[in-house]
Amino acid sequence: MTQKPSAGPVAEVLQGRSRSTQAMFGDWIRSRTPANSWPVVAGFAVFAAMLGLQQLIVPGTQRLLTSVFLFVALAQAWNIIGGYTGYASFGQVAFFGLGAYTVAVLMNNYHVSFWVALPVAVVVGVLFAVVIGVPLLRLRGHYFAIATLGAAEGAREVINNMTSVTGGGGGITIPTFGSEAPTPYFGKPGFYLAFLVLAAVSVAVAALIARSRFGYAMVAVHEDEDAAGAVGINTTVVKVIAFAVSAAIVACAGAFYAFQQIEFYPTDVFDASFTVLMVIMVVIGGSGSVVGPLAGAVGLELLSQFLRVNLGSFNQLIFGAIIVLVVVFFPQGVVIYLRDAWRTRQFSILDNVRRYRL
Amino acid sequence: MIAPVEVPSAAVLEVRHLAKRFGGLWALRDVSFSVSEGEILGVIGPNGAGKSTLVNLITGHLRPTTGQVLIGGRDVTGLRPWVIAHDRVARTFQIVKPFRGLTVRENVAIGAMHGNERDRSVRDALTTADELLDLVGIAKHANATPTQLSVADARRLELAKALATRPRLLLIDEVMAGLRHHEIESAVGLIHRLRDSGITIVAVEHVMKAIVSVSDRILVLHHGSILALGSPSEVLADPRVIEAYLGHRYLDRRSS
Repeated sequence: MTQKPSAGPVAEVLQGRSRSTQAMFGDWIRSRTPANSWPVVAGFAVFAAMLGLQQLIVPGTQRLLTSVFLFVALAQAWNIIGGYTGYASFGQVAFFGLGAYTVAVLMNNYHVSFWVALPVAVVVGVLFAVVIGVPLLRLRGHYFAIATLGAAEGAREVINNMTSVTGGGGGITIPTFGSEAPTPYFGKPGFYLAFLVLAAVSVAVAALIARSRFGYAMVAVHEDEDAAGAVGINTTVVKVIAFAVSAAIVACAGAFYAFQQIEFYPTDVFDASFTVLMVIMVVIGGSGSVVGPLAGAVGLELLSQFLRVNLGSFNQLIFGAIIVLVVVFFPQGVVIYLRDAWRTRQFSILDNVRRYRL
Repeated sequence: MIAPVEVPSAAVLEVRHLAKRFGGLWALRDVSFSVSEGEILGVIGPNGAGKSTLVNLITGHLRPTTGQVLIGGRDVTGLRPWVIAHDRVARTFQIVKPFRGLTVRENVAIGAMHGNERDRSVRDALTTADELLDLVGIAKHANATPTQLSVADARRLELAKALATRPRLLLIDEVMAGLRHHEIESAVGLIHRLRDSGITIVAVEHVMKAIVSVSDRILVLHHGSILALGSPSEVLADPRVIEAYLGHRYLDRRSS
């Protein structure tokens, strides 16, 4: 198409700009202000504080925070496919289990270093995500949820029945002592650090994706796939990549979890309650945001541990009741409620319930 | 703009014997026509005539039962919507489809970052979006959410989203429906400006008055088939068109 000389401002807008990467980077640097840089600064501050905190706390508390970090990573991962892209997967634990078993099998059967097994576990998770994602991501809503649930159950059964490789229902053990150990055991301080880094990387990945062109494509797919396709978004590719990125984080978490546990069974690492917790943490915190899953994971895991220690046998009942109440009063998630309430200065919880009532 | 040298006579859009069946109903049957560069083709017809089906077939949102769609001489029949969008074809939806969770500005920016000659950063895409919001006249609503827009402004947003993909062919599905008189005038002016900047336009409309003033040629669909195709004055004089649109009682009354 040739540009007509008399085209005017309309044609200019439609012309497209061709800018060098340096020019764009220069723009980006110049546009940094305290107002838009504080999330990054806050992120590094929290990370540093957590590093410092480790020196002050007893091993038991380290263990508690380690599981908080694990759920931060899992919640961020679920949010990428379930929150931003709008495909509520109920099978994310499949990637957790596959990551865990990949590491255990490689370290136990083949004496492979953990640091080699870890990337292999991530690759296995991504491959499985692509293989089941291409057909399953054509389904929507409940159908996608049920299909992914089924895929996770199926994956567990396969691991369960590959007795010669995985040990089957008898479980698997990672050697951690002396010359038997391919990689020395990290111990509580080591795993605190490992899961802290995992959580930090997950938050950073989620934050970077959310602000990228790909992030906007995920939201567009979530909102309306026909409209997304019409503006040139390859919806199939967006969905599969979002699913794969989520799977990569979950598989990575599963790999660290396996090494931390040393010995486990298929029912431990393919436990559907991992998936359920991911979903609840994201929904309660606020899906489709970075802070939502972070707050949901930290809040719920600390609450659950607190109730377990202080309430004895009733703890699960109270935990469930609290979740129900939060979902009833803050259907859009606590973080989203607070953000909107702060912006509009309307803090009435009853109005909020009315606004979001289905 | 760098484009491969095309055969000069190749139409921007050519539709050959296009047909679509939904179950036992032919929504569109043996429709053939072509649109040349810089032309504005109006498509009219009563409800259920197959206008939106035609748009959906051209943009890949529906697959034709038989027939072909050619964009700039290339056969794109049955390709997915985003492939066709990257062939510089943009559209609006009759029932507006905004991305509800995003601001008006972000809605438009998505087209700029995923369409043709796309902006390589979100920041550039947002700048493009601001320019387009200004062009269609809803710049003051840039930070609103789409659900806060009036019907007329929601249709303007649809247009801006489509333009952000930098099309050479724009299919607009009833962007003027429900607009007030002065709004229709400004919409017609905008469509002419878009054409003058080199975009070929297929405008599906229900409002006869608007389509007559905007189109070079008019295609009339009736029960899924082409009833008439020609200049506005020819089409308006066609007794079959008058009957389909205004009813035979109108004709009887006029002739008596």
